[in-house]
Amino acid sequence: MEVSQNSDYNDRKFALPVDSEHKATEFRLFSVATPHMRAFHLSWISFFACFVSTFAAPPLIPIIRDNLDLTATDIGNAGIAAVSGSVFARVAMGTACDLFGPRLASSSLILLTAPAVFLSSIANSPAAFLMVRFFTGFSLSTFVSTQFWMSSMFSPGVVGTANGLSGGWGNLGGGATQLIMPLVYSLIHSQIGSTKFTAWRIAFFIPAIFQTLSAFAIFFLGQDMPDGNYVRLEKSGEKHKDNFSQVFYHAITNYRGWILALTYGYCFGVELTIDNIIAQYFYDRFNVNLHTAGIIAASFGLANLFSRPGGGILSDVVAKRFGMRGRLWTLWVVQMIGGLLCLLLGKINTLTASIAVMLVFSVFVQAACGLTFGVVPFVSRRSLGVISGMTGGGGNVGAVLTQVIFFRGSRYSTEEGITLMGVMIMCCTIPILFIYFPQWGGLFCGPKKGSTEQDYYLSEWNKAEKEQGFHKMSLKFADNSRTERGNKGVPVTVTSYNETPPTSV
Amino acid sequence: MEVPTGFLVVSLLLCFATTGYGVTFTSLQRTLVVTASPAEGQVLKAGDANITVTWAFNRTFPSGTDADYRTVKVKLCYAPISQKDRSWRKTVDEMKKDKTCQHKIVARPYSASNNTFTSTILRDIPSGTYFVRAYAFNGNDEEVGFGQNTNGKLETNLFVIQAITGRHASLDIASICFSAFSVVALAGFFYMEKSKGKSQK
Repeated sequence: MEVSQNSDYNDRKFALPVDSEHKATEFRLFSVATPHMRAFHLSWISFFACFVSTFAAPPLIPIIRDNLDLTATDIGNAGIAAVSGSVFARVAMGTACDLFGPRLASSSLILLTAPAVFLSSIANSPAAFLMVRFFTGFSLSTFVSTQFWMSSMFSPGVVGTANGLSGGWGNLGGGATQLIMPLVYSLIHSQIGSTKFTAWRIAFFIPAIFQTLSAFAIFFLGQDMPDGNYVRLEKSGEKHKDNFSQVFYHAITNYRGWILALTYGYCFGVELTIDNIIAQYFYDRFNVNLHTAGIIAASFGLANLFSRPGGGILSDVVAKRFGMRGRLWTLWVVQMIGGLLCLLLGKINTLTASIAVMLVFSVFVQAACGLTFGVVPFVSRRSLGVISGMTGGGGNVGAVLTQVIFFRGSRYSTEEGITLMGVMIMCCTIPILFIYFPQWGGLFCGPKKGSTEQDYYLSEWNKAEKEQGFHKMSLKFADNSRTERGNKGVPVTVTSYNETPPTSV
Repeated sequence: MEVPTGFLVVSLLLCFATTGYGVTFTSLQRTLVVTASPAEGQVLKAGDANITVTWAFNRTFPSGTDADYRTVKVKLCYAPISQKDRSWRKTVDEMKKDKTCQHKIVARPYSASNNTFTSTILRDIPSGTYFVRAYAFNGNDEEVGFGQNTNGKLETNLFVIQAITGRHASLDIASICFSAFSVVALAGFFYMEKSKGKSQK
């Protein structure tokens, strides 16, 4: 296992124990030590800020719709626009992370979308409202940089936990905003005395400023990788500046990325859809008042505090014994149960039972999101960013598709839509059965004899690139990911690495 | 699972009983005559223009009809065109659930004639097409009669209110300045990163 040579090195340089890539092998929540835990806190806080901004409008819709003279169609379209902007932005963000590093990629995106939030204050028509929600929604692609950053800072044994916590606590923003924005609005309206139609405009400055400050924090306090920023590592030759078309090619030709994109659309996409429609559902079907409906809606998002991280932690726990096969099985089971609960939710007629089922459903669907990103870091090493981006983008595609098919116009009642959405979740979870890693196996088949992690990760580099030594980082990752075999089969031997590569490759 | 028929009958009865309990609009008689100052199609600015409403008992009804009238509430109501595709302004027969008239102009104790009221249109009234309706309430605060300045089909004497934008010059300037600052800061970041890269050599 870990040789003393490494732990000496650790003590000198890092606050947490690290592996050969200097990724942390432990996760200490209450530490802010550079670079690992600091990166964690920076990433979840900034992602939280982006979620707050993107879903800042829904709780204030009763005021905004009167000010801007919106119809139900305008509101529905703006809701779809808010989640559709990020579909391609997430893939772009993934590429940017691979090429420029998560620190620059995320702080740039956050600063570029902050104007959309500031300009929401001066929106004057349904069209303007749609535009600001569309562009603000681009900021949701910081999800990809969050997951990429965690996968760069944390070792395979804890990457699920890190990804789940940062993703989950960021998603929390979608629930928190349902409580924050009405509070800010009423403070401005009653304490400062602004009229209703001015107070909501001023209220939008709060998420906008928060978002801008988080970008500054990332830029000045963050670091791309445990050993430094991309710019410095590339200059010193430790990191090779990769080629965009190669990175992109290796991502889109990996079928696992596409399957995960589809299945993520039916856990995270469903979560986004519910964020948009659930308050109205409770208001209309059970005649609760708007304030109560808002609190119920908030509780769905707030479950993210523990449910998504729970999924990530569960993924890591299962992997210790069963490896990647355990991660895949758990994901399949949890997401299937989520689909079943969704089906049930649409059929329930009483308020208390409905709230109870919704809460259990939220835990399962959000845990499935956490479990998905327990698998994603292993699909590719070279194109980690683009794969993360594709999966993340797939989540948003799921949200757009589901809202357009089931929750627009009067074809289905909301409860019919929810039940049908449950059926669709179950159908779209089936493809997980087809994911297969030659070195670890899949749901039904074991690993291919003689296939190793190195074979899998080094296949992303061609001969010329290997001769130039560009594949060094993939090599380290390949060895560290041997933990994904679980402890049922071959005993894991982790050799210690210095900065120079080993003599046998 | 067999549901006993007795249970069904009782629950159906209860259902009718509860729906019959709330006052419905169709049960009300148009016992008040209401006029409003805006001309048909006139555009009024919220926070700026005045509106004058008058209401009186309709003498064509028998004289004891208004015996239990205690208060009158005069409200601004949405015309059908402003309710289209906006379910939060829906007209529902049961008065407790009806959302047609959401903005109160004035509430006064009932008197059969000489009622008039003028006020500025409040600044939180949204843009739309409106008419004026007055409801008469009895001692139990239930609607017992109404009157409106338009006809039964809500087609005549409708007027338009234009809302305030809620925007101010200072807000506009702050918004644009902060946005510009974000973009400039980003440019600054790139410059700093590039010069850091150069200085590594």
